[in-house]
Amino acid sequence: MKIGTLVATAAAVALMSSTALAEIKIGASLPLTGNFSVAGQKHQQGYEHCVALINERGGILGEPVELIVSDNRSDPATAINQYERFINVDGVDAVYGTFSSRLTFPVANILAKYGYVHPVPAGGALRIYTQGHDNIYYFQPNAAEYVGASLAGVLADLVPEDGKPVTAAVISADDFFANGVWSGLMGEKVMDPADGSEVADLAPGYLAENGIEVVFSQRWPEEGFNDWLNLANQVKRSDAELIIGLTASAEEAVQLTRSFKTVRADPKMVYLSQGTQAEYLEGTGASSDGVLVHTSWHKDAPFDSVLAGEPFSNNDFVNTFKARYGSVPDEDSAIPFALCQGIEQAMLGAGNTDNAAMGEWLKARTKEEPVLTILGRFNWDDVGLPADKPFLMTQWNGGELQFVYPTDEFEGVSPMTFPKGGF
Amino acid sequence: MADIIQTMILGMALGGVFALMGSGLSLIFGVMRIVNLAHPALIIAGAYTAYWGFRLAGVDPLIMLPVAAFILAVVGIVIYKLVFEREASSAKYTQMTVLLTFALAMIVEGALGTAFTNTQRVTSPGYATDAFFIGEVFIPKGQLYAGLVSLAIIGGLSLFLKYSNFGYAIRATTQNRDAAELLGVNVNLVAMVSFAIGIGLAGAAGALVSFVFSFFPAKHWEWIAILMSLVVLGGMGSILGTVVAAFLLSIVAAFVGDFFGATWSTMTFFLALFLVLLIRPQGLFGEKPELA
Repeated sequence: MKIGTLVATAAAVALMSSTALAEIKIGASLPLTGNFSVAGQKHQQGYEHCVALINERGGILGEPVELIVSDNRSDPATAINQYERFINVDGVDAVYGTFSSRLTFPVANILAKYGYVHPVPAGGALRIYTQGHDNIYYFQPNAAEYVGASLAGVLADLVPEDGKPVTAAVISADDFFANGVWSGLMGEKVMDPADGSEVADLAPGYLAENGIEVVFSQRWPEEGFNDWLNLANQVKRSDAELIIGLTASAEEAVQLTRSFKTVRADPKMVYLSQGTQAEYLEGTGASSDGVLVHTSWHKDAPFDSVLAGEPFSNNDFVNTFKARYGSVPDEDSAIPFALCQGIEQAMLGAGNTDNAAMGEWLKARTKEEPVLTILGRFNWDDVGLPADKPFLMTQWNGGELQFVYPTDEFEGVSPMTFPKGGF
Repeated sequence: MADIIQTMILGMALGGVFALMGSGLSLIFGVMRIVNLAHPALIIAGAYTAYWGFRLAGVDPLIMLPVAAFILAVVGIVIYKLVFEREASSAKYTQMTVLLTFALAMIVEGALGTAFTNTQRVTSPGYATDAFFIGEVFIPKGQLYAGLVSLAIIGGLSLFLKYSNFGYAIRATTQNRDAAELLGVNVNLVAMVSFAIGIGLAGAAGALVSFVFSFFPAKHWEWIAILMSLVVLGGMGSILGTVVAAFLLSIVAAFVGDFFGATWSTMTFFLALFLVLLIRPQGLFGEKPELA
């Protein structure tokens, strides 16, 4: 009898203490190993840093937050299984999204099936948002297909008329995200892979709209490609004045830039779709000067942001991140941090962790009453893409990543270096 | 014409690096019948050794090469003693090594990720992004130096295997392990030293890779299929075959990339692997398998 009482008491205490220690559970499946591991680990840091700061400030709705992170090894099937497990075994209250369009696309179906709010940190392919799910919210400025709008804006507003590039070489990773950017630039139709229906017709494309002729275009395989010098030499031989490298990772951006330097390419302008990371600068040095890269986040962007109901600036984010990890964050950590801010605000706005209520609150956001994050304000359109939110266009100059466009969003915009010249 | 010469040069430049990357793999299979799927992961360990030498002390990766080779050779001895020595008498030794080295690759990847994070790295000595220009043609200095060093190491290894007593023992063990043992060769010692040399070659290749390609712990998965295609085409266990295959496939891949697009250049390696296994399983320089 005494033993039975003791066991029952111990079980009750254990249950009570575990309840008290982890009232709100959030699951995130991330590619911590495998091909996406570089960005995946930074996403983990972004999520964990945000949750740690929230807990330091008393949690959400007075309850501490427990973050469960699982490594999906960059494998879509594993990511699906892990979200199923978060929901059915771990009983999480909410989820944070995974990294990359390739993993997000299949995961979206699972989270829609269970009615969980699906906040996406990195999954820019338009096809993700046209599957008909109403639970998805993208925490970057726009879909990959519309990234080219920022480059078009730079060409129209910052490049002198008499010096505008008239020819372009477009080379791209054969990757979900990069292919989306390619479609927008080249004016292709976007098709739904499930039924072959047309999602969007992007003709004539941002390049044709700006009078730029594509004189060379090529894709490289997503994995196992090593022949960078040959590719760079083909681009050089095309004599294109504008080089567009739709890189899917900082690693590819490094390989391309170094190869352009080796072959002594000399374009007027270079735009890469990845390359804001510190390791890009480390790998390319002065060759990065003049290279344009779009980004969702910049440390100097003075966005009004909130964490635990208190103002939280980009400066606060950078300083606390450095204190925790000893390194300066880049957008791969800033984006998941912003997503975490958004979900915290959704829980506070809904007054509970019910996903339907959180979804309603997120849907009700407007330009005047947005979610406020270190990536700026967010409100979403019908398919879950941010409304009226441009990407920032940045440029490497003297080892600094400066933001150069748009010029009317806030103070501190740097003049763009043009032409780029050699590497 | 200049374009054709240029493509040929770029193919050869890539081939020189692949030759050393594949040689250690070939040596280990030749002597020990170990299909070492962890070889590219250990190449990355060598690349990190060169990277940190360059970053912390400014030591050129070519100077760091013997350091990386030595450290990885010691690691090779430890791995051999811990993992392979006790399994050497197993009837399904070769099949088991596939699983063992697959696990080893994941352990090495995890250890490197824990130690150095998954951030991609590359060393940047001045020559890594420079080139000799001769008229319309250029020769990339980084790949040229890597290729020359690679050939020098392989040449030295070949001389060692051909003319030293221990080299005789290694070759004898490669040709017939049982006969070599009957003739007094300490095959266990030969196996351990060969494994250490093979992993040391991975370390040396890593030092070269560190300025030719950017790398991170998980990068090795992209290389294993390419290296296996070189070893199979050259003939499993033939170092000369691996070198010839590395140059041949890299040159063909460069032309394929030039004419049909970058997507197909990588396919060249896998297509070669497929065709060789179908048409000539023993590869270019391998021995024809005996019929049972």
